Amino acid sequence: MTEPAPAVTVHTRPAEDTRRPAYGLGRVLILIYGIFALAATARGLVQILTRLEDAPVAYVLSLFAGLVYILATVALGHNGRRMRRLGWIAVTVELLGVAIIGALSVTVTEIFPDDTVWSQFGSGYGYVPAVLPLLGIIWLWHSSPGRIASRGERADR
Amino acid sequence: MFVSVLLASAVLAALGLWGAWRALRGQPVVFVQLIGAAVAELALVVQAVVALASALTGGGPADPWTFWGYIVTSLVLLPVAAVWAMADRTRSSSVALLVMCLALLAMQLRIYQLWEVVA
Repeated sequence: MTEPAPAVTVHTRPAEDTRRPAYGLGRVLILIYGIFALAATARGLVQILTRLEDAPVAYVLSLFAGLVYILATVALGHNGRRMRRLGWIAVTVELLGVAIIGALSVTVTEIFPDDTVWSQFGSGYGYVPAVLPLLGIIWLWHSSPGRIASRGERADR
Repeated sequence: MFVSVLLASAVLAALGLWGAWRALRGQPVVFVQLIGAAVAELALVVQAVVALASALTGGGPADPWTFWGYIVTSLVLLPVAAVWAMADRTRSSSVALLVMCLALLAMQLRIYQLWEVVA
């Protein structure tokens, strides 16, 4: 025979987070990604819609770069498990893109009669396109949930 | 148009340096900077009106789509920085303001280049 469990009333208060919102440097990185997503996508769209025949490869690449930046912006901002995986893919594609297109634009100039975001390793945009994927990788590495947890445990000891 | 670009760039550069200074010292954006941002925004609005007036009287850039894209986008960035500054009371808001000012300065350069190539 088991005794019936005594009724226990648990009094709880609704949890309320009164800390002031602080978004941190990760958000600034996402902001820069957002600006580039907007700039590259808008540029690619205008070029494709108004003068595609001038430099089809360059213009389609500009639009592709813009879409990858949009993906990176959304993935870094969302920060969920699957979205982080997409974020890794996006920043890797960017790094490869700026390296490969950068090298091609210097050596095989005839494919690119007009510049893309990634031409000359992003010199038209102050080399930000070359630095941005590196910052993205650092951020994804630094902000990984496992790493944050292990940092927290280290701090407790 | 040249005067307008010069004026807006000067205000934006000052605002950006101010943001950089506060970011280096680890401080968030303060209210006086938002007034500065409002002055810069006013300069950008004046610029848009000047561009619209000369476009309507026959002038205007050879590539209107890109040009007006830049003009419209440039009006949005500082309000975003202001909302950010009110939500994020850390050093990051100063970095965000600096980033916005740098982006706007780059856009001012492009706006001027596009304007010079008249249709």
